[in-house]
Amino acid sequence: MFLEIKGLTKQFGGLTAVNQFDMYVNKGEIVGLIGPNGAGKTTLFNLITGVLRPTRGKVIFDGEDITGRKPHTVAARGIGRTFQLNPLFANFTVLQNVSASFHLHPRSSLLDIYFNTKTYRRNEAYILEQSLEVLKLVGLDRVKDELAKNLPHGYQKMLGIARALAVKPKLLLLDEPIAGMNPDEIDFTMIGVRKTQQQGTTIVVVEHNMQIMDLCDRVVVINFGHKIAEGLPKEVRENKEVARAYFGGEHAA
Amino acid sequence: MSSNQLSTSSASEPATDKRKWANPSILAGLVVIIALLPLLLSSPYILHISILIFVYIIASVSLRTITISGQFPLAHGAFMGIGAYLAGMASRWLGWQPWLTIPLAAIATAGIGMLIGFPFSRLRALYYAMGSLFFGIGVIYIIYAGGTWTGGYAGLIGIGGMFGGSRVAYYYFFLGLALVSVIALYRFEFSRIGINLKAIAQSHLVASSVGINEGWYRILAVGVGCFFVGLAGASYAHYNTVLSTSSFNFMATLWLVMYVLIGGIDSFAGPIVGTIILILISEFSRDLKVFSPYLSAGILLIVVYLMPQGLVSLPQLIKSRLFERRKEKKISHVPGN
Repeated sequence: MFLEIKGLTKQFGGLTAVNQFDMYVNKGEIVGLIGPNGAGKTTLFNLITGVLRPTRGKVIFDGEDITGRKPHTVAARGIGRTFQLNPLFANFTVLQNVSASFHLHPRSSLLDIYFNTKTYRRNEAYILEQSLEVLKLVGLDRVKDELAKNLPHGYQKMLGIARALAVKPKLLLLDEPIAGMNPDEIDFTMIGVRKTQQQGTTIVVVEHNMQIMDLCDRVVVINFGHKIAEGLPKEVRENKEVARAYFGGEHAA
Repeated sequence: MSSNQLSTSSASEPATDKRKWANPSILAGLVVIIALLPLLLSSPYILHISILIFVYIIASVSLRTITISGQFPLAHGAFMGIGAYLAGMASRWLGWQPWLTIPLAAIATAGIGMLIGFPFSRLRALYYAMGSLFFGIGVIYIIYAGGTWTGGYAGLIGIGGMFGGSRVAYYYFFLGLALVSVIALYRFEFSRIGINLKAIAQSHLVASSVGINEGWYRILAVGVGCFFVGLAGASYAHYNTVLSTSSFNFMATLWLVMYVLIGGIDSFAGPIVGTIILILISEFSRDLKVFSPYLSAGILLIVVYLMPQGLVSLPQLIKSRLFERRKEKKISHVPGN
């Protein structure tokens, strides 16, 4: 198992946002994580990436216990992520957003950076090249000199993904990547996500939009912090408990 | 809240921007004029004001180094005092020479800054400003409590001077020190380290999600900023040979903040311009006595209201006004419009 979550629990005061949650992700899979608003999906991402510290439970990634590690060490282990509200380096250009995100690959020492050594200049040239490549992949190479805050919403979402790719993730966590996108952008993003998976990245995607479920090998459904269903997209779609969670009542979908 | 806005806006310039006014030949010309100033005007008063300007340029630019990381400390004057008192005490009580006390005091100030910065790196925005404010006030009380060692309320006297007290020599010493410091801090800000700091200021969540160690970089910025402000304070101690807490209290910190704000928080040149103009204003308004700070406060209000990007944005503001007018005229000449 590539990512294994065991008995993960997060309490905020009296509220239990994630409760005894178990989940696994195999290498190379795309796993969908769905659930109604407030189900605990984003909290789960924050627990995996170290933004929040779990109350109980374990997160094991690639054979290593990463429970409670700081976000930057989790990123260094190879977990890239996007954010639901998609914060950006708003006053950086698109290119600067991505090149700043190549902080880890390759990494220059402080002295190399400060004294502008050959190693640092070579690293920076390499980062520039890589950044342009990533921007081309997500279709933002034409707007690379725009300030990130001036981009339309769909482009900003793509920039968020580009930034996560700059971490060279082995595991990519996408938090509502296609929310608010127009149909063309959704198609483009889905193709991009598929391409990323084919290049060997494992992906977990949180989404409300059922369209993205077609990409997934497996779907996990969470509600009130509990796992309520798991299986192939088709199975989950026909699951009664899932329908109840989304629509309420006995007789749905 | 306001402190939060200040700190985030400090990163709003593109990280690798080369501004037009920073033309190397203009800068070189300025340096030559400044270098020849003592030969043209040997008035001790003018030399004294120039030396103060050099000292406070180092202090305000080093404050900027911290603010670009999204932290807005209200203790920078106190850190200058730590550097000054450490150097002054080492000179007064141990008889150490300035060439030893100045670098050691700067390093010690950086060390203290980083130690304090460690718990503070968990605070943000207003809480950070408040925490550092209390630290700054605490430093002053520690100096008061130091009795004979620090000179207490009476002040520390008998610090060793340099260059046999020659003002011209001091002038060149501080000019050189300011140049080296400003260049060193410029390189710091416009390297990948500075980019990382500005990234943290814009979104610490995103920055740490791409592997930037937020806590470490924030402490590093504080360390570098405190090193240079300690350097400024320690050198000032050996120039003035007398120290009192009034140079390093909360008002002193506020003046440094004003230099940065009025000059322009979005630009590296901002604190330099702000320091020069505000020190000149407060010197020329000496006759106003107690009302002199009101003049600076008035200027702060005018600048914030009319030029939120500070005094450095003035040339561009004028240029864009003129340019826009010209553009309007051109459009009106288009035939058939």
